[in-house]
This record gives sequence, structure tokens and C-alpha cells, in this order.
Amino acid sequence: MTQPRTGTEKGDRSIPFTASLTFRQAAVTLLIVAFLGLLGGAVELGADWRSMRAEIQEHTWRSLELVRGSAAEAAFQFNDDLATQVVDGLFAHREMESVVIRDNFGGTIVRRDRGDVAPASAMVGTLFGDITEYTTELHHGPVEAAAQHVGSLEVRLAAGEIAARFTERGLVIFSVGLVKALVISALVVLIFYFMITRPLLGLHTAITRIDPARPGDWPRPRLPRHERDELGQIVQSLDNLMRAFQQGLEQRDRARDENTRLGAELDVSRRIQQILLPSRAELDAIESLDIATHMEAAHEVGGDYYDILSHDGGVRIGIGDVTGHGLESGVVMLMTQSAVRTLLTSREQDMVRVMDVLNTTIYNNVQRMGCGKNLTLALLDYRHVSDPDQPGVSGHLRISGQHESVIIARRDGRMEVVDTDDLGFPIGLVEEMAHFVAQIDVDLHPGDVVVLYTDGITEAADEHHRLYGDERFREIIATHRDESAEAIKDAIINDVKRHIGTQTLYDDLTLVILKQR
Amino acid sequence: MQSLSGEGYKVELDAETDSIRLIGALRLGGLAEYAPLSQLLENALDDRTKLTIDLTELEFLNSSGIATLSKFVISARNRHHCALAIRGSEAIAWQGKSLKNLKRLMPALELTFE
Repeated sequence: MTQPRTGTEKGDRSIPFTASLTFRQAAVTLLIVAFLGLLGGAVELGADWRSMRAEIQEHTWRSLELVRGSAAEAAFQFNDDLATQVVDGLFAHREMESVVIRDNFGGTIVRRDRGDVAPASAMVGTLFGDITEYTTELHHGPVEAAAQHVGSLEVRLAAGEIAARFTERGLVIFSVGLVKALVISALVVLIFYFMITRPLLGLHTAITRIDPARPGDWPRPRLPRHERDELGQIVQSLDNLMRAFQQGLEQRDRARDENTRLGAELDVSRRIQQILLPSRAELDAIESLDIATHMEAAHEVGGDYYDILSHDGGVRIGIGDVTGHGLESGVVMLMTQSAVRTLLTSREQDMVRVMDVLNTTIYNNVQRMGCGKNLTLALLDYRHVSDPDQPGVSGHLRISGQHESVIIARRDGRMEVVDTDDLGFPIGLVEEMAHFVAQIDVDLHPGDVVVLYTDGITEAADEHHRLYGDERFREIIATHRDESAEAIKDAIINDVKRHIGTQTLYDDLTLVILKQR
Repeated sequence: MQSLSGEGYKVELDAETDSIRLIGALRLGGLAEYAPLSQLLENALDDRTKLTIDLTELEFLNSSGIATLSKFVISARNRHHCALAIRGSEAIAWQGKSLKNLKRLMPALELTFE
């Protein structure tokens, strides 16, 4: 039913770390946060860049404005000492690459250059190249309008120095962004792990431990604080599913067990019915009679009975039909066979006495069984006759007991039907029935055919529920009476089968043909 | 009106007409399950001089049921005081032979087929 599970079929294969939910979730979170962080950093850096440029320009212009008066004085008077003081004051700032004061003829009064400045890279040139050069004209005079042009003050800033400050700020922004991304990712992953991944893993472990033979006993995982959420619903749905599976399996098992039991019971019943039937050799040993028999159990085995027992004084033939179907009917039939044989062995000849003992035996046993089964039973005592006083008579038949009619097809074409209703009473139905027993004696001549049967033959139904019937039965007997017992039996059975067609056999078919030799 | 019923069958005792009607199909499992019906039939015999069992609508009666009915007929026969009548139907297959056997158990039984 259930295959033992092998290791490779188990569901708990380890998942590669890079394929795990936790890793993928961490990677995606990190990428998204890092991207957003970088974007934010870039915007911040851009704003920084603009404010830094403005600040540098403003700062430089302000410095130049502060010294402009002194520089103009120095240029007007050609005072080198003052000019040197002014230039050195400006040059003290690290970002100054060169500071020059020129006179109004273009000649240099004082100049300071920083020699150790590395040439600016292309990117630095792009970012800050346009704000490195500043020139302010120097005028001397009491009022602005009448001032005399005396020279100029020129400064150049070191772009590399400015860029270094900018790069430093950029690094800080980037580092802070990275740390933020890592912390956010870690937090999200932790939350995701404890809220979803861990309960899912627990559920997965429980699923892999499900015993396919007993899904109802699955280790339903306890997920605290998930009772009302989607995970809780999944567990509940799975639990319902497993219970439904379990119920289905149990129903299937019960039905299978019941079928097995019924099947086994029917097999036993079928066996019971066949196991004590007379053998072909026994029948062939009876010289004065040509005998053929047929017994076929219905799908649901009934309780048909027949027996042919040869003894010193002749042959005792029994035929009967226990009510109902199945094992109990089979058991009653078996008891009947045994009791009939016992009475024969005890040499009981009196039919009233035989029927009385049979009835009491079966009645008491059926009471024990509590099933109210009873059976029709006809017993026929046959005796071979060779009496010069009875010319033409070869056999003698004494019929007793209530069963179906006994049909006698005479060699000369006459058909005799012996109604047995008044020859007995159902065996096992009532406690006392001896006074209902009667008997009929019949002489048999060579070629006479005696037909015994159960109602399975006459009540065999076709697809339109039409019964085979007494009339058709007697016709087929009459048509074939000149043939051997075996041929008559085959003709009848074939005709009954033709009638039934493809219909299920609802009752046992039993047929016994006795032909006087 | 006293009555018994189960899956597919109904038994009704009509005190006014002194009759018991059995309707449907009786296939109880075993003699013990027929005990309530047996009791109802026996009790119906008490204090009555005439009782009619109407089987014209009883389509099926299994062997335990026939055994129960047979026992009841013998009981009625032995108690003498109550005249028993059974009404059967020609159209119902099981009744022919079985009811004739009941008549043999109690020759005074008034058996009619419709």
C-alpha cells in the first residue's frame, strides 16, 4: 500500500545557502537599500558640490576685498614690503596655488607660487576648474570715481586641494550610506526570518514527517502568534486536508476490509457447497440409473443442496434449497447433508421419522444461529426392481418432503409433474412437522427420466425480468428426453443460460437428471 | 393505533377493525430483530376473539420473518380463543407457498388471496 520512503525521496533535501529565502531576501534588501543610499548620497554630494563652490568663491572674493586697499596702496607707492605682506597673508591659505600683485604696466611687483601642487586631474578640472582664477583691479584715489588705476591682484586656487576636501566628504557620505544599508538589511532580514522564514521551516519539517499511511497524525506545528495570520491559515488548511485524507483512507480501508471479508465468506460458502457433492465415480457406479448433475453457485452464493447416496438397498437422493444467501445458508446446507447421511447410515427407512429427526436437528441448530433459516427438502428413495410380477418396471421411487415439483418424462411421451407441497413442510421452520410428512410412490420404466431442480432454474430472469418458467422448462425436457442424462442436462442448462443472457446469476442453479436404464 | 416501523416497512395495529397491516419489505437480520413484531402480534391476540393479518402490501418477508409469522400462527392455534384470518396477494411471489404452509399449521386459519 505505502512504499517505504527512500532517502532521495525525502522532502528535507538541504537547500543551497544562496538559494535560501533568507539569503535572497538579504541580497535583494541590500541591493535596494544600497541603491537608494547611493542615490541619496549622490544627491547630497551634488548639493554639497554646489554649496562648496559658492562658499569657495565667496570666501576668496571676501579675502581679496579685505586686502584690496593695502594691495592698491602698495602698488601705488611701489612699496615692496607692503606688497609682500599682503601676498604672504593671502598665501598663508592652503588652497592658494599662486598670488600675484602687478603694477598698471603689467610688471610683477610680488609673486608667490606653491611648487608642490600636483597637476589637477580631468575630473577635478571639470568640477572646480572654472572657479580657480580670480583677478581684482587695484585703484588709488580719494573717491571711487576719480580713482587712478594702479595695478591688479591675481590669485589662483589649487583645484587639487579643493577636490581633496570634496573627496573626503564624498567618502564620508558613501561610508555612512553603506553602513545604513547594511544595518537596514540586517534588521529586515532578522524580522523576515523570525516572522516568516522560521515558521515556514517549521512547517516544512512537519510536512516532511507526514506518514502517508496516517496523514491525520501529522505533527501539526505550533506557531505561536501566527494563529490568526496567513501562516496560521495555511497550517489550519493543511490540518483540515490531512484529516480529510485520513478519513478517506479509513473509509477506503473499511470498505476494502468489508469486501475482503465478504469475498472470503463467499469463497468459503462456494467451497462448502461444492466440497461434499458426490463424485462422478460414485454416480457411475450406480448401474441402474444414468445420472447427470449440475450445480452452479450464484454470484452471492445461495444454499442449494443435492446429494446422491448409494447404499445396500438402493439410492437416496436429496435436493433442497436453504433460504437466503451466504455463509449461514451454506452452513445449514452442510448440516442438512450431514444429517441426511447420518440417518441413512443408521438405516432409518421410515420417511416420516427421517424428516422428523432432520427437522428437529436443523430447527434447534437454526435457533442457536438465531437466523430463522429453513429449507425446502425432498428426499427420494430409489430401488432397482426386477420382479416378474411387475413386467416393464425397472425401478421404484418414493418421494417425500416439500420442495419444487418432481418432473417425470415418461418414455412414451407423457409428462408427469409431482407436486410436493403436501409431502412435507419447510425443514427448520417450526418445531414439530412430522404430521405434515407424506410420500408418493412412483414406478420407473427403462427410458423414464426424472428431473429434480431448484427454483434457480425456473426463476432465472432475463434482462426484462421475465422468468425462465415451468412451461419452457418442461418443453426442453420433453424435447430431449430420449437423449442421455448428460445430454438432457446440457440442453437444459444451455437453454437457461441463453435465457439469462448477460444477466448476473441471482440464485444457485441446481439440476439432477435421473434416467432409468 | 399501535405501530412499528423501520427502513422500508411499517406495521400498524388497528384496534377498531381488529387488524394488523404489514406494509413494505421486511428484511430484518435474524430472529432477535423480529422480537418487537413478535411481541406486537402476540399482544394483539390478548382479549380478542378475532384478528386479521393483512399482508396484501407486504412485498417481501425474509426467512426469519416467515419463521416469526409461523411461530405466531402456531401460538394462535394453541390459544384457541382467537379466530385468525390472513389476507394475502396473488401478485406477491413469496406469499403463495408460505401462506399455504401457515394454513396447514392452523387449519382453522381463514386464508384469502386477493
